[in-house]
Amino acid sequence: MGLVAAVTTVVLAVVATAIKWLPDSAATQADRIDRVYWAVTIICVGIFAVVAAVSVYAVWKFRAPPDDWEDGSPIHGHAGLEKVWTAIPLALVIFISVYSSYELSKAEDVPLDHPVVHVTSQQFAWSFSYPELGDDMSLGELVLPIGETVELDLTAKDVIHSFWVREWRVKQDAVPGIHTHIVVTPTKTGTYEIICTELCGLGHAAMRSQARVLSASEYRKWIEQQKQGAQAAAMPSTGGKVDAEAIFTGSTGGCGNCHTLAEAGTKGAVGPDLDKVLQGKSADFVHESIVDPNAEIAPGYQPNVMPQDFEQKLSSAQIDALVAYLVKAVKK
Amino acid sequence: MSTSVGSHDELGRAAELGSHEPPARPQGIRRWTAGGWLRVLWVVPLAFLATTAAVIACRVAMGLDTRGWDSFVPNGDFFHFNLADLQPLIVAWTTLVPLAFLAAIGGFDYWAYWISGRPQRPEDHSGHGARSWRDYFRVNTDHKVIGIQYVVTTMFFFVAAGLMAMFMRAELARPGMQFVDNNGFNGLFSVHATLMIFLFIIPVFAGLGNFVIPLMIGAPDMAFPRLNALSYWLLPIAGLIMLSSFLVPDGHAFAAGWTNYAPLSIQQPIGNLMFQMGVQWAGASSIMTALNFLVTIITMRAPGMTFWRLPLLVWANFATSTLVVIATPFVAGSQFFIMFDRVLHTNFFDPTQGGDVVGYQHIFWFYSHPAVYIMMLPGFGIASEVISVFARKPIFGYRLMALSLLAILILGFSVWAHHMFVSGMAAWLRIPMMITTLLIAVPTGIKVFSWLATLWEGRIHFKTPMLFASGFVSMFVIGGLSGIFLGSVPIDIHASDTYFVVAHIHYVLFGGSLFTIFAGIYYWFPKMTGRMYDERLGQIHFWLTFVTFNLTFFPMHWLGLRGMPRRVSDYDPSFGTLNMIISIASFVLGASTILFLYNMIVSWRRGEPAPGNPWRALTLEWQVASPPPIFNFDEIPQVVGSPYAYGTRDARHAVLRERETETAQPAEPVEALH
Repeated sequence: MGLVAAVTTVVLAVVATAIKWLPDSAATQADRIDRVYWAVTIICVGIFAVVAAVSVYAVWKFRAPPDDWEDGSPIHGHAGLEKVWTAIPLALVIFISVYSSYELSKAEDVPLDHPVVHVTSQQFAWSFSYPELGDDMSLGELVLPIGETVELDLTAKDVIHSFWVREWRVKQDAVPGIHTHIVVTPTKTGTYEIICTELCGLGHAAMRSQARVLSASEYRKWIEQQKQGAQAAAMPSTGGKVDAEAIFTGSTGGCGNCHTLAEAGTKGAVGPDLDKVLQGKSADFVHESIVDPNAEIAPGYQPNVMPQDFEQKLSSAQIDALVAYLVKAVKK
Repeated sequence: MSTSVGSHDELGRAAELGSHEPPARPQGIRRWTAGGWLRVLWVVPLAFLATTAAVIACRVAMGLDTRGWDSFVPNGDFFHFNLADLQPLIVAWTTLVPLAFLAAIGGFDYWAYWISGRPQRPEDHSGHGARSWRDYFRVNTDHKVIGIQYVVTTMFFFVAAGLMAMFMRAELARPGMQFVDNNGFNGLFSVHATLMIFLFIIPVFAGLGNFVIPLMIGAPDMAFPRLNALSYWLLPIAGLIMLSSFLVPDGHAFAAGWTNYAPLSIQQPIGNLMFQMGVQWAGASSIMTALNFLVTIITMRAPGMTFWRLPLLVWANFATSTLVVIATPFVAGSQFFIMFDRVLHTNFFDPTQGGDVVGYQHIFWFYSHPAVYIMMLPGFGIASEVISVFARKPIFGYRLMALSLLAILILGFSVWAHHMFVSGMAAWLRIPMMITTLLIAVPTGIKVFSWLATLWEGRIHFKTPMLFASGFVSMFVIGGLSGIFLGSVPIDIHASDTYFVVAHIHYVLFGGSLFTIFAGIYYWFPKMTGRMYDERLGQIHFWLTFVTFNLTFFPMHWLGLRGMPRRVSDYDPSFGTLNMIISIASFVLGASTILFLYNMIVSWRRGEPAPGNPWRALTLEWQVASPPPIFNFDEIPQVVGSPYAYGTRDARHAVLRERETETAQPAEPVEALH
């Protein structure tokens, strides 16, 4: 039986380690969670190896020959064994509890003076605002500096959503009516996907955004750019050229997540196909459909699915550009 | 000790004991007024119309608009009405029409006789036993008939929910959208989970328990036979309400998941009401059955059947029933709150009016975590019976096995918030809930190790029930271990709401519950039908299920940890290959069920006649004929020892009067046994 146990352990250990079970870690929180993950994996592989070895050996050794009418040994129990297999799992789960609690409290440690980013979720988009940029400026992507512990303050406008970046291993529901918090310390620059993991309605599968981690100097530069952008938006006459297609497909507008538009190459199926419903419509109609989506609902679709705050989220220059782009796109 | 009494002989015997012949069926016009399907034919439409009229009259009287009524008028503008106005009608229909149905079919009309001063009909058990297949479609108070009604009905919903899983896997085989739209997909997984939980796993265990428990404890029937029949008939009602959610205009069923989290569920189209109302009927059914089990087990055990001589299946159902009685009212309450928020405009879960969104989850999981044990403990019981019998050994550590069931029952009430580690609940609550959650591994571990120790030095016969029971132990270990990962808060932060959870729940409920359900059905099939199933088909069914089950669900652990969230119709294209493999495996898994159904149906009609005790088991249900006589035991059995004394020569669990002896020497006093 020792042989069976050894073979099972080796096979399981190979499965547990040779396969890449977790995405690359990109935050100190991820490193801590991964350590707990591996500790639990080692314990579970051990337990499974014992169970598998005993089962395989018993099945092989104690199988009755056909037409056997004998009974097995009348063993009713064994107090010693029963104590052992109560005590060992108890010790193991106490260890897992203590170790999990330790790493959890460390992962959620946050310096007294730390930057906060406000995250607002709604069907089916994320928006982010930075206190230093002013509360009324909301962005479609999350940008963080590397190596700094940041608190994300989450809330939701309509139903429950959940914020997940797998490379950071952080996940937290965003709940209407309350504020929830995430602490994250990114350790690698790059672009990461933000995934909604709480079923939030029709467009749940498409509710994605992105998080960019920049070096400290790039981050300062980005903040400055945003401040200028905010001033530019405050003075509509100076609005430069706006890339409407980027707004449509990217996370600024996020339109393509839900809408099909041949011109932009998007195939979203949550909302109506814009090539069809906008065919032959006036610019005024398109404008109204963006800023007040409930005014007219396409047959077969429901009200309150599309966000109703694009007028606040996008500058008027951006909305005008988007309207012009859409009117032109469906004419082709 | 086994009797060789045929069923014809048995009828004669029962006649001696007293009335057993069914009362003459009513003739002429009385066929339409006596309880039964003919009365349903006119009472139900009448109740439907009366309910509709009453709701509309109330709305007119209160000065509310009646557009709900207008939307029945086919005016070409059908779909453009505000369907929310149908809500009061749907609530009234799904409450009152089922009551009218129950009264009409004769399952819930006895109180009306008393109220109206007409002669009452005492329950004289005259309706016991099924004489033809038609009797299974009538109200019957015989626990054996009800047990079979339960199992067959739940199998129907099992197949329906399984087909929905097949549609989901077809959609998920490739990234992008192919067969259904988003709302359709959300509806599919919501109804799949709801039917599997409320209309299959929970009630199929109630059905098996119904058939077996009175026999196992030496009782002639359940304690409350009419309540038993009533709780069965609530079940098809619940199922039909849920399935009909696909039919409501702008339907696509209810699509907020089986967890039905607020506020999404409040925002959902009216199909969601069908979930809220369906759960009430299923829950009521399950509470009534649980009460019945508790009273039966406590008060109707045969002489000598002490608690420490109860078979572990009875222990398991005792623990389960306690869970059901305490926990189920919470899910009923949570769905009533949602319904009130929708229909009565209360604000339990509306944050803008002071409602508490996370509060819903606390109430919901206070039921739905114990529900996991409601769906698991009876399976533990079946596994204990099957493993002991087919290993030809006493169950290892019987008392600790029973006590660990009670430990799970108690601990099970203190772990609900582990479903909510990332929900935004009070942060401090996470650590205590993690500790209690992980502590459940201890009694569960005791059970697994004891089953393994039962195999040790046994003489194991791998018949189909034993294959499924051993398959259950190994799969349940995987499900239990992935539960440790999810129980640890840091890992859960990463893994919750991903395919890792989908993998875990299916290892527990499919590899766990469903494997024991298969084991139980194969094991008691000869007792229920009086015929043997086809062993070769059973073995093929097991191996197909076992292999494709693992191919389907094991890779989901990886998908989840790597970043595939659950409840999505579309996913990152890099997960495409694995999802295709999973889908193909799941289709074979689905097809293997056809083999099972074929085996059951054909064997029921044409299988080899089963002896009274084909497995050489000691428990009481095997000491009577297959199928059992109408009143189970000619004489109350005397229990004298352990139900698992295999390996001890001439060991007996109970002493029954030998039929042959009785006929040969009718004057022999049987009291000597007592």
